[in-house]
Amino acid sequence: MSTDDAFFSVNGVSYAYADGTEVLSAIDWHIPAGAFHCLVGRSGCGKTTLLKLAAGLLQPTKGQVQIEGHMVHGPSPKVGFVFQTPALLEWLPVIDNVLLPISLHRRVLADDRETARGLLDLVGIADLAGRYPGQLSGGQQSRAALARALVASPPALLMDEPFAALDAITREELQDDLLRLVSLRQTTVLFVTHDIAEAVYLGDRVAVMDRGRIALAASVELPRPRNTNSRYDQQFTAQCQHIRAAMARPVAEAA
Amino acid sequence: MRRHIPSVILLLVLLVGWEAIVRLAGVSSLVVPAPSAVFVVLWDGLVTGFLWQHIWITGAETLLGFALGCVIGFICGVVLGEIEPLRRLLWPYVLATQVVPKLALGPIFIIWFGFGMTSTVVITALICFFPLLENTMTGLQAATPEKRDLFRMLGARRWQTLLRLKIPSGLPVIMAGVRVAIVLALVGAVVGEFIGSSKGLGASIIAAQGMMDSTLMFALFIVITAMGLLFYQITLVFERWLLRGWLKGKVS
Repeated sequence: MSTDDAFFSVNGVSYAYADGTEVLSAIDWHIPAGAFHCLVGRSGCGKTTLLKLAAGLLQPTKGQVQIEGHMVHGPSPKVGFVFQTPALLEWLPVIDNVLLPISLHRRVLADDRETARGLLDLVGIADLAGRYPGQLSGGQQSRAALARALVASPPALLMDEPFAALDAITREELQDDLLRLVSLRQTTVLFVTHDIAEAVYLGDRVAVMDRGRIALAASVELPRPRNTNSRYDQQFTAQCQHIRAAMARPVAEAA
Repeated sequence: MRRHIPSVILLLVLLVGWEAIVRLAGVSSLVVPAPSAVFVVLWDGLVTGFLWQHIWITGAETLLGFALGCVIGFICGVVLGEIEPLRRLLWPYVLATQVVPKLALGPIFIIWFGFGMTSTVVITALICFFPLLENTMTGLQAATPEKRDLFRMLGARRWQTLLRLKIPSGLPVIMAGVRVAIVLALVGAVVGEFIGSSKGLGASIIAAQGMMDSTLMFALFIVITAMGLLFYQITLVFERWLLRGWLKGKVS
């Protein structure tokens, strides 16, 4: 992969806490525009830190992160972020939550409301636009959060285990919605998860992280569009096993 | 409404029992007046307008002091909550001023602001200040780290994060402070009048004590209680309206 056409370029990035504990060491990773990459790893392996570095929420102690060839110094408007929890504002109706990325910067126009309603329709909760977040189920809240991340049409999305708290069926539905939305808009995605099957189902490329390093990087050779049948495909299972093995190996060494 | 019926029956039973004991045992009205006598005095006071002038004055003092204390407490809470060095610098002093019993300051306020409404309003405002200050400072910390990161990702400015995330997130906590303040405000106004005023319900209690008129004192207690309940209910309605988004979520 050439690094020139990369949307995200992570070059020799290390990150340490103020007390000197190193969380990430010398990470190199490149995500071409329009690609969907997944990071898997156990809790505390540094995957969320890497995501926050890519977002500009944290600054690396060594190395640099670039977006379209420009150094990242802070949060970029080109990047949408989806958090572990939906993080909706309880005091605003769903539609105003979705419009937040716009209303923080300028007056909301009729066109913006159209866009937001269109997105809510695409994630299947158009009829809930006027409800408050507390009135929605966990899955519906995650859908609203996804719509909010996409409303300003960012060219890239960073996602931090956004579906981890959902039941299996809802999670599969949301994965399909996500794939549909990002392929429609050619969005570049970096998706963090601890679920191997989720990573393989969603990603073009999967990186396994372990104790601050990338232990394995693998391309996923599954045809798109993927659907429920892909999840029971032999190739799918083989990919999962391959990644599972990479995740298990370093821990066995440590034991 | 129906669930209040037992409470009302209990009240009636207590009043009848009280009346019976006072009459049968021949208790002096100086010690404990009969409820019937209290209601007569109360009714007369309301009809002749004698009580209304005091109600207006105490009501005005309570609401002025409450508004003043809440607004200043809220603003100071926001400033101290947002500016960490200032909080570290001033917190011991804020705490010290709150530990001083406000009523002990009454005499000096009378020297500064004169005998009458101003002193009582200042005392009431001081009493309302602290619950608002403390709850605002606590409330501003209520937004989750993820929501703060969200606002950072969206490029929100500091004042936007304050107005559109931190203050709304803290509103339930801040409103709890307002509810405490309204109750304290009435107590502050009444007791403030004890020392610093010749008008109002608190001053009337002192006057009634001077005349050994226990019946009037009981009538005044009832008026003060009714005012307290009214103010509290109004605050509660306002709070429900303000927090409708949160409450709607909890219903389903």
